[in-house]
Amino acid sequence: MYLTLSQLCKRFGEKEVVKDLSLFLEQGQLLCILGSSGCGKTTTLNMIGGFLTPDQGQIMLDGQDITHTPPEQRPVTTVFQSYGLFPHMTVLQNVVYGLKFRACSKREARQKGLHYLELVGLSGYADARIYEISGGQQQRVALARALIVEPKLCLLDEPFSNLDAALRVKMREELKKLQQELGMTMVFVTHDQEEALILADKIAILDQGRLVQYGAPLEIYRHPAEPFLTAFLGLEDLVWAQDGTLLKVIKRNAV
Amino acid sequence: MNKRSSPHRETTGKRASFDALFRRCAQGMDRLVLWLLLGAVCLFVLLPILCIFLRSFQSEDGVFAAYQAVWKQYRDNLWNSVFVGVLTALLCTLFSVAAALFLATRKGWGKLLCLAILLITMVSPPFVSSLAYIQLYGRRGWITYRLLGLSWDPYNCWGVIWMQSISFVPLNALFLNGMLEKLDSGSIQAARDLGARPAAILRDVVLPLLRPGILVALLLSFVRSLADFGTPVIIGGRFSTIASEIYLQLVGYSNLEKAAAMNLFLLLPSIAAFFLYRALMRQADRLSQASRSRQERLQLSLLRCGPAGVLAVVISLLFFLMMLLQYGCIFLSGFLKQSRRGAVFTTQYLEQLLKYDASTLVRSVIYALIVSLAGTLFAMLFSYYMERRQVLGRHFFDGLVTLPYMIPGTCFGIGYILAFNHPPLKLTGTAVIVLANMLFKQLPTTTKICSAALAQVPADQERAVRDLGGGQGAVLRDVIFPGLRPAFLSCFVYNFSSSMTTAGAILFLINPGKKLAVFQLFDAVYVGEYALASLIATMIIVLVLVVEGAVYWLTNRRLYRTA
Repeated sequence: MYLTLSQLCKRFGEKEVVKDLSLFLEQGQLLCILGSSGCGKTTTLNMIGGFLTPDQGQIMLDGQDITHTPPEQRPVTTVFQSYGLFPHMTVLQNVVYGLKFRACSKREARQKGLHYLELVGLSGYADARIYEISGGQQQRVALARALIVEPKLCLLDEPFSNLDAALRVKMREELKKLQQELGMTMVFVTHDQEEALILADKIAILDQGRLVQYGAPLEIYRHPAEPFLTAFLGLEDLVWAQDGTLLKVIKRNAV
Repeated sequence: MNKRSSPHRETTGKRASFDALFRRCAQGMDRLVLWLLLGAVCLFVLLPILCIFLRSFQSEDGVFAAYQAVWKQYRDNLWNSVFVGVLTALLCTLFSVAAALFLATRKGWGKLLCLAILLITMVSPPFVSSLAYIQLYGRRGWITYRLLGLSWDPYNCWGVIWMQSISFVPLNALFLNGMLEKLDSGSIQAARDLGARPAAILRDVVLPLLRPGILVALLLSFVRSLADFGTPVIIGGRFSTIASEIYLQLVGYSNLEKAAAMNLFLLLPSIAAFFLYRALMRQADRLSQASRSRQERLQLSLLRCGPAGVLAVVISLLFFLMMLLQYGCIFLSGFLKQSRRGAVFTTQYLEQLLKYDASTLVRSVIYALIVSLAGTLFAMLFSYYMERRQVLGRHFFDGLVTLPYMIPGTCFGIGYILAFNHPPLKLTGTAVIVLANMLFKQLPTTTKICSAALAQVPADQERAVRDLGGGQGAVLRDVIFPGLRPAFLSCFVYNFSSSMTTAGAILFLINPGKKLAVFQLFDAVYVGEYALASLIATMIIVLVLVVEGAVYWLTNRRLYRTA
């Protein structure tokens, strides 16, 4: 297995936020961690990213134990919910920032940076300032910045939560395309059922720090493991595109 | 760290081991800096305060002997201190609230003028009010004697109260004005929408929201009044407070035990006030945070606010008029000489000053520059470790560093004498002790400025650096320092003005051969050379404004270039 979380536990004081969580993921796949707020999904992501140390358990990535590796030495990058872009740098400076810490000449870095800006559809914005571009564009800068260092794993913490509905759908498609092109392994945290069903190769549903179900989207859709899930997912029907991919999710009206 | 855990596959083993070494060094540096910061705080804040406590109990006639003696001998002074403190706090807060309301509701050139006056008072040395008081209202005062022909004795406790109240107003007024500007214009509009008249808005919305700030102003004025020795020494006449008595004990009799014990009578109420102050500031922050909106003018017409509003306007006008008179008097009297034909222009005092005492001014500026740069850097690093890193004992050190804010300056200074006048830490008589005292006396404010600026820097930026492979050094360089750039100017300006104008804290630390401009000013006032004193005061104000203007220009130019 490429990424393995085994029996992770994390408590803050008395509260057990993540309980005995075990997950695994193949290389090049996209895992969605789905759950309502306070279910421990961001905590899990922070443990994979190295910003929190688990109280128990182990994280293996590509055959290495990274449980106690500090974030700057992990081959893992994150797209933060609020992006965490550096306001005093240009778009390009932001994108190539991570290359500073790797053997990479200035010229190479610039070329690579421009290439990645093109990948995320921002060619021409290299010298813009962060506060001059829109929220969706900032999102793309954050994504390019995380991908340019060619991490073994890329984490996304509710990256679309600050975007409006139409843009969210568009970014979703672009992310999926980019992930498949680069063959990047990703872990994506969200509370949006539709987002998870459409994006993910595997979905892990968390509730109160506990893993409720883990599987491919359609498995979960067809065979919810617990009655709780039926209510939580609240799905009525799925709409498919012509090429066989999931296009839209119709939810039950009752909330 | 072995090769395999390196984040990039293509790196060679050599590079990986070099990286590991480099990381080890960076981590070591990080630790070292942290320990240096914490060690310095313990040495220069905790130790002096402990020394005062211990020394005051070390009398030959028993543990509490010094206290009993002080209590018996100086009970009147204690009462005087409390009496002056309470009246000053009330009067000063009244003036401050009025001036802040006036300032917040004004716009255009009127506001700029008022702000300019407040700015000048903020960079003025401490004895300026008393100096102006004597020259304007004294026995031969311009107003009382020359204008009105009165002959009266201005040296009494009412003069002290009046002068203290006036001179503490600017700081309070600026603080309250800051609160008023952060006030949610939404709640004022809502009140108006619901039918409240201006007077009711003032009473029901503005003043209640300002309440914690008003209490802080009361508290600060009280504590500052307790600690102020200059005003009672200069214009108290026979009236003396505990602070002025400490000054005399140390200067006249060099009685350290007694001075330490007397200081504790100042220290205890100050520390009590400090905890109250912290609780109040938390409340004030909550009230203004709940309503974060753009800074704008308070939409309220004071003159339509009924008697209270009119009173506020009258008081503020009176205050600003007195300030104008005061500074006019100071700026003019350095260049005027009394002769039979009246006052004539002269540069006699200026020549005298530049000839004999230019070195003092230069030394003051050099000291202030050192303290400003070192102090700002210290505050930036310290606030970073306190705010962003899980340092063990964080709250303890955070509290410790704020302590000098509330401790009377003389008290802090005596602590330094007690702590550093014998080997292995013999620093008395050196410049180091003076610089350290200034730096740590000012640290509470500068760390607060830096912490506030850091709160504006999202934690995600810091995580992003580490996530992409940067260590703590890269975090400091690429996130913390750029984020603190706006705080740099505020810290520098505060440090520089305070260092140029501070007196109480370093009064007993200064080497008599290496005086600073403030003490020269104090001596000049004390012996009655008012023209020279006015000139020194003017020079200090001008120097501070010039240096701070230059720094403002430099940092802003840099901002424009990168933006």
